[in-house]
Order: sequence, then structure tokens, then C-alpha cells
Amino acid sequence: MDYDALIVGGGIAGMQSALTLGDMGYRVLLVEKEPSIGGRMILLSKVFPTLDCASCISTPKMATTAHHPNITVMTSADIDGIERDTDGSFIARVRKKSTFVDPTACIGCAECERECTVAIADRFNFDLIASRAIHIAFPQAVPKKAVIASDGISPCTYTCPGGVEAHGYVSLVRAGLYEEAFRLHMKDAPLPGSLSRLCYAPCEKQCTRALAEGKIEIRGAKRFMTDYYYDRHPVPEYGVPADRNGKRVAVVGSGPAGLTAAYFLARNGYAVTIFESAREAGGVLRDATPPYRLPRAVLERDLHNITALGVEIRTRTDVASVADLKAQGFDAVFIAPGTMKAKEIDIPGKDLGGVVDPLTFLKSAIDSKIDLAGKRVAVVGGGSVAVDSARMALRCGAREVDIYYRRSRKEMPAHETDVQAALDEGVKLHELRAPMRFVGEGGRLTAIALQETKLGAPDASKRAAPEPVAGSETEVAAEVVIVAVGLLPGADLFPGEMERRRDGTLVTNKETLATSLVGVYAARNAIIDPTMIIQSIALGKRAAFHMDRYLRGESEPASFDLRLPRVTHEEVLSRNAITTRAPEKMRMLDPLERARSNAEIEVALSEDAVRAETGRCLDCGICSQCHQCVETCPADAIHFDMRPELVSVRVRSTLLATGFQLFDARRKPLYGYGRHANVVTAMQMDRLLAPTRPYNAVLRPSDGKAPSNIAFVLCTGSRDCTVDSRLCSRVCCMYSIKQAQLLMGALPLAEVTIYFMDIRAFGKGYDEFFEQAKGMGVYFVKGRVAKIEETTDGDLLVSHEDISGGAGKTVAQHDLVVLSVGLTANPKAFSILKDANVEADAFNFVREVDEDLEPGRTTMEGVFVAGTAAGIRDIPDTIVHASAAALQVAAYLRTGEVNQ
Amino acid sequence: MSRAAPRPLAEVLRDEMVMRDRIAAVLGDGAKTIPEIAELLGAPVSEVTQWVMAMWRYGRLEERPKPKVDDYFQYELAKRHSP
Repeated sequence: MDYDALIVGGGIAGMQSALTLGDMGYRVLLVEKEPSIGGRMILLSKVFPTLDCASCISTPKMATTAHHPNITVMTSADIDGIERDTDGSFIARVRKKSTFVDPTACIGCAECERECTVAIADRFNFDLIASRAIHIAFPQAVPKKAVIASDGISPCTYTCPGGVEAHGYVSLVRAGLYEEAFRLHMKDAPLPGSLSRLCYAPCEKQCTRALAEGKIEIRGAKRFMTDYYYDRHPVPEYGVPADRNGKRVAVVGSGPAGLTAAYFLARNGYAVTIFESAREAGGVLRDATPPYRLPRAVLERDLHNITALGVEIRTRTDVASVADLKAQGFDAVFIAPGTMKAKEIDIPGKDLGGVVDPLTFLKSAIDSKIDLAGKRVAVVGGGSVAVDSARMALRCGAREVDIYYRRSRKEMPAHETDVQAALDEGVKLHELRAPMRFVGEGGRLTAIALQETKLGAPDASKRAAPEPVAGSETEVAAEVVIVAVGLLPGADLFPGEMERRRDGTLVTNKETLATSLVGVYAARNAIIDPTMIIQSIALGKRAAFHMDRYLRGESEPASFDLRLPRVTHEEVLSRNAITTRAPEKMRMLDPLERARSNAEIEVALSEDAVRAETGRCLDCGICSQCHQCVETCPADAIHFDMRPELVSVRVRSTLLATGFQLFDARRKPLYGYGRHANVVTAMQMDRLLAPTRPYNAVLRPSDGKAPSNIAFVLCTGSRDCTVDSRLCSRVCCMYSIKQAQLLMGALPLAEVTIYFMDIRAFGKGYDEFFEQAKGMGVYFVKGRVAKIEETTDGDLLVSHEDISGGAGKTVAQHDLVVLSVGLTANPKAFSILKDANVEADAFNFVREVDEDLEPGRTTMEGVFVAGTAAGIRDIPDTIVHASAAALQVAAYLRTGEVNQ
Repeated sequence: MSRAAPRPLAEVLRDEMVMRDRIAAVLGDGAKTIPEIAELLGAPVSEVTQWVMAMWRYGRLEERPKPKVDDYFQYELAKRHSP
């Protein structure tokens, strides 16, 4: 048996019962769903009628509970279910939430809170003020440990193939922390300049805000922060890592995959050399990405991020074999050559002068080695390479540029935005046209013979197959044709050294990217569409992770992808009402201005625009993982790899101390709670009065004014059949009188009025407390409040019937109204016990078999109830009841021991 | 002072991260009350209350002593956040 008693709920009742049982020598497990024990009492200002400090009473009890040798406290933990076993004991499944903070390391300094970039409502201050995604529940929390609120990974972050924490940098940009945003990106992936210009942004496609007025311009945020950073840091802030490990890695190919692998390996202390056969490094970024999309200065600065780590790039260097690299002393090799060749089209005239492949064309055009002035250029194909070729042809001076595509526009693999941009610049698109032959004269192209096509049944690519239309042949004049109908893997590297597939590509392990040769890894596919470079970055990052493990001699299998589950759009929208806000978008230069120039065509967002745009972020997962807390924490206590834990425990008895719920004042719509800013609940007023108050003084929420005329409306949600809440809540009269007295102390010039039906001052010293309030000048008006309306300056008009004063129907003006909300049953008590015979009373509290003679005993043997879970009571009565319930538990346990 | 329909609380609170630099800029030339800040920002005063209080809570702003007869506190940039 793990424990003698499981106590569910760590409020004042749960703590009292736990201490009573613990002092008697029983082993107790106390499970509390919140990050701290203490319940609601610790959040009160003072207690009635003594006006003792609630914290001064609660905190010693909290500390004693937490440190008691017989009590185990689990906070941030939910009961997943409790089942009775055949021997009469209970098996409880406790789900320990993932707080992402190591409680053994956290020192409770709250530095993380100050740096957090995600503001959320502070539920421990009943939504009066913002808290942070990482927070300590309240200043007197026990344990005083930070926790991170998270509903899962935000869809944008989850979906990035490269594991770039999009929500994180969006959150940092929103907070104006642009350099921090850049550094966060560099933690996840190098090449932010290239990505900010080129990436197809799968993150944006998953943005929840897309379901409202439009997705967040996440790539625009990246563009802004990268430009901002590069403007201020022409060279990286870091250099070669000091702790080199003496091992050497060779990377073959300097495209995005090779550069990324080199970057992460070099950061881990490896000496990395990249071998590149071309004249300059960059692969697809340099050879197939037009400068109007990616300015060369940005590419060079991106490359500097890698070379600054000491990575050597040997250009114009072919590698003969892997064996040769190993002979040179390299401990591991990553093959990412990225070499592709253009697919040829097997029709007459394909060898004529003027028929060119797109890769050769793009490279020459980018290097400004082609002059197409006055020429008519045809492009065959519908992918990104075809569209880029067409646009580059314009920039090389072509008179006309026509794209011929054998399907329709909607089947084009190129991104629609790029297709439209090409058309805007003057490229003409001819759909449903396929070349039949190239016509020439003197060995040079003069025209293309084309045939119309129509769309048939889907082919292997799941797109409608083009079928020729007989008799539709036409001929169009052209001096140059760029055949961009697809790409194939490039020439085989290192033949005979490693296992290959039928198509000649290397066989690699899907998880590790390891080839059949030990210590040699390879990117499976080269990517030629520059918008897809994040896929290459993902491969390079994955390879680096597993190569590092191999080089450190770790043999246990490990997964590269350890993402938490993602939060769904539905979950996000269910907790977020959205006000429409116009999106800010990056714009492009005027088509006529850009069509003949290599200047960058996309214009970055302004600082104001990027702050407004990122301000639309819904913080889907709540915590953005911006890592500001990680950077700040002096104890290295924050770990985003922490996961929830399910613990199964066997206990001899269960005690429910699940407390009460406060009446939701929105259920009395005529009182205006939730609509009128200056109508607050009594719990909110207690927070305003507490020493750990949310504001710097007692102020009204609408405008920060110190109130001077405050009203209390008693019996809000108590003794009220209209909201099915007939019970008297027993505490509202007295806590309202307490607050009235405290307000008169805090605001000596303020008038305080209490609207009541009748004052129930039944406990010891309660009536004297009531008389004391009257003596202090609190106005008591007998009469039910009918409705509360708001004036234009935020004051409140309280319509009521003045019974005792005889004034009849009256309207009084106040600048702050407190609704003295009642207490209701907490249904949680019943949901945690599976198939149990625990009955409810007429008011949905846990029914005691005999409230007078057997307090704390429920209708199920071995299950007990303490405090307000069994019925409304004030703090002294709760403590007495919890002690009585603990003694019932002890008697039950003792009986079991005697019987055994 | 006009009173538009309040925006959802979560949305208002999130905007603190965007607005705090603007509030700091407004307070650059001296302490101000919440209604004064709201007027300068052209933002609803109830929303500015939320942002100012959060900035106060996390040490970016400090209140100046207020005579008992005054309705409003004035807030200024905390020393470590002053330009």
C-alpha cells in the first residue's frame, strides 16, 4: 500500500485533514490541481470577524503541510480516476502536468516572469490583471515554483519541418525584442535571411488566425527581425567555439542541407570542412535563386553565420571518394551534394541552338552572362523553376516571354503567388499547350510547334493528365526555349561505396539518415525549388543530431523529433473571442518597376506594421517557447523537454476536499458583470484589498481611479430561484462587511453602501462585527437590487427598492459596485471517482450519511468528504469539519487494521 | 469619454506586449495618469488601465505619491527602464 489516505484538494480543508492524519502517523498523499496548495483562503485579504491576515494564518499551515514527513504533496496534478480494488483499497491514477520547470532547481526568484513575452489573464487575481505564460501562482505559493502554462505546441511551430519556433520569434517581435527573435531562430536553424525571402511558410498555412480575418505574416516578421539584426551586426556576434572536441567532419555540398549540418556540428565543437565543386558556396541558393528574390548580400551574410563558427568551405573541390575523406582523417561524412539535372524532352529539334535547360539558364542569368535583348523566349513547364526562368528571362532583356504548360493554371506546381507575379511583370501564360517539336534554321531555334491539350483522368501524380487534341497544331516564333519540365537526381557520387536504390539514390535510414557505410550520412533528396529550402535545412539538422550521437559513441536509439502534441485550432478558438484586425502584408514593388530589374521585389514591413501584425497572434499554445525565461533563469530550471507523467498509487481511503465554486456573476446579466468594467466580484475586491494586490492601490478597473463611492450587492447568486441557487451562502454578509471596513481604512474619504435582503450574522462575534461596520459609517440599505447600468464615465446606476428607508424604487450612483457572489457546489468531486456510489445532496454537494452524527462520511465506504465539498461553511467551520472528517478516516483505517 | 463595447480580455492583455513601448514613449516626458496616457495613445482607457497595471506589476512603471483628494495616481517609468 502506497498511502493510507488520498486527499483530493489542497485548500484549507485538505490541508487540515492531511495534517490531522499526518500527525496521527498515517501516510497521506495530497493532490492539488493548482501549482500551489492553499486554496482560496490564501488569496483573501483578511478573515472575519477578527480581521486577521489571511496569509498569516494560511502560510504556516501550507508550509507545515508541504514539509510534513507523513504527507506527500503533488501540485499541478489531476486525478485521472480512482477505482476501488477487490480488497477494498483504491487505485488512483494521478496525472502530473508538465510545468516545464524543474521544481528541484527553481529558486522562485520570478526573474522569468519579468522577461516572458506572453501575457495571459491572472486567474489567481481573478482576471484583474495580466500574468505571464511562465509564472509563480502568487507570492505566497507553496511550493514557490514557477510553472509554464501550455496547451501544447502552437500549430505554426509544430508544422515547421525545420523545427523553427515560429510562435517564439513572433512573440519576441511583438514585444520589440528583434535581436532576441533572431537569436532564437539561430538556435533552431541558420540561414534566416534566405528563409525570410524564400520559404513557402508552412507555418502561415497552419496559423489559427487564418480562420478569422487572415493568417499572421510570419515570414514578414522573420524578414523584419533578420534585416534589423543584419543591419546592426554585419558579422556574427560569435566565433569559433572554445570547446572543440578534436573530431573532424566532412560535408559534401554547400547547399542548405550541407550548410545546416555544418552549422550544428560546428556549434557542438566539431571541426567541419565543406567540399563544394562549384565556384562559390550556397548550392540552390546561389545557382537557382534569382537575386530579385534573394539579394546576394543577404546570402553572403547567411553564409557568414556558418563560417564564423570555423567551418571551412573548400570551393572548386571535387571529392573523389568517401574512402579518400576517411583517409584524410575525417571521422564522419555528410553527403548533401544537391546535384540535380534537368529532365530532357525527347522531341525533334531538342539539340538546336537556343534550346536550353533551366539550371544552366538560371545560373548564367544570375551571373549576368546572358543578354536576351530583343529575343522571344518560350518556357516549357509549370513549376517554380519554369516561372523563375521566365521572370529571369524578362530581366535579361527578352522582348517577349511566354510560358507553355500542358495542363491548366490550377495544376501548375509553381506557387500561385509567383505565377501571378510573373503575369503582372508581363510574362504570358498559355495553358493546355504542349510542344511537339522545336523548329530551326541553320542549327538555331526559330519556332516551336505546339499542340493543344485537354485534361483527362488523373495520372500517377493525381493531377488531370493532358491529352493531345488532334489537328490543333500551331507554330509560334521563338529564339530561345527553356525546357523546364522537371528535374532528376544528378550524377552518381561515390559509385560502389554505398548501397543504392534502383534510381541510383543512396539508401539511408529514415530516422538517422545513415547510409550503409558506418559514419556516413546523406540527405535523401536534393531540393531545387528554393521555396522548399526548409526541407533541406530539416535534413541537415537531423543528420547533425545523429552524427553527433554517433561521434559521441551513443548507441541507444534516439528520436530527433520530440515534439509535444499540437494544440488544435478548435481548442484555440474556444478560448479566444477575436476582434477583427486588418492584416499587414509585405507588398511587392510595382510590376513595371521590378520586371526589368534584379532589385529585391518584396518590401519588408515597417516596424509599426510588424508590431501590429505580430500583435494579432493568438498565442495558440499559450507559451510561445520564446526561451526568454530559459535565457534568464539563474538556476537553469526550465526544460521544454519535460513531459506529463501518469502515476498510479494504491491507497486505503479517499477524502474529497475539492471545495466550492464561486457563482458566475454573468448569470445575472442585469447586474452587468463582464460588460461594465467597474462591476467586480467580492473575490476580486478581496484581491484589490490584499497586501499582494494586483494594482498599486484599490483602484477601479475601468480607468485606475481611486473609487470614492462603493456599493456591495449581497445575495448575488444566493437565495435566488431565478438562477437555481436557493441556498444562503452563509459567508457573503460577513465578507462584505469585512471588505466594507477594510475599504474605509484604505480609502478614508470613500462612502460604502451595502444593499442587503437581511444580514445573517450568526457566528461568534459576527453581530458585533456588523455593528462595528455601522458605527464606522457603512450605509446599509435593505432592498433587492434590480439592475445596474453604466454611465458614459464608467460610474454605475444601481436601481433598487429602498425598503428600510421607505424611499421605494430608487436609483443610486456609485463609482464601483461589488457583487457579493455566493458559493456553489463543485461537481469535480463526483467526476474523479469512477463508478462510485458517492451520492450528492439536494444542492449537488457531496452527501454525508449523517451530517450531525457522522460528519465527513459519504455514502461510499472508505470515501470521505471535508469542508465546503460537503456544503457551504465559513473558514472556522471548514477547519472543524476537516478535522472531523480526518478523524473519520482514521477510525476507518484503524478498524481495518484491527480486523486484519 | 465614449465607452465602446469592451474587447475580449485575452486580446487586450496580449496587446500589452505591443503597447508597452508606446506607453513608455508617452511617459518619456513625465509622469501621467491613466486617462492622460489613454488620450495620448488614442486607446480605450480601460485597456490602458490593464497595460499600465501590468507594467507596474512587472517593474516597468512606478506610481508617484498621490494626495488623498486626487482621483488618479500618476505613473512614471521605473528607474531601470528610464532612458
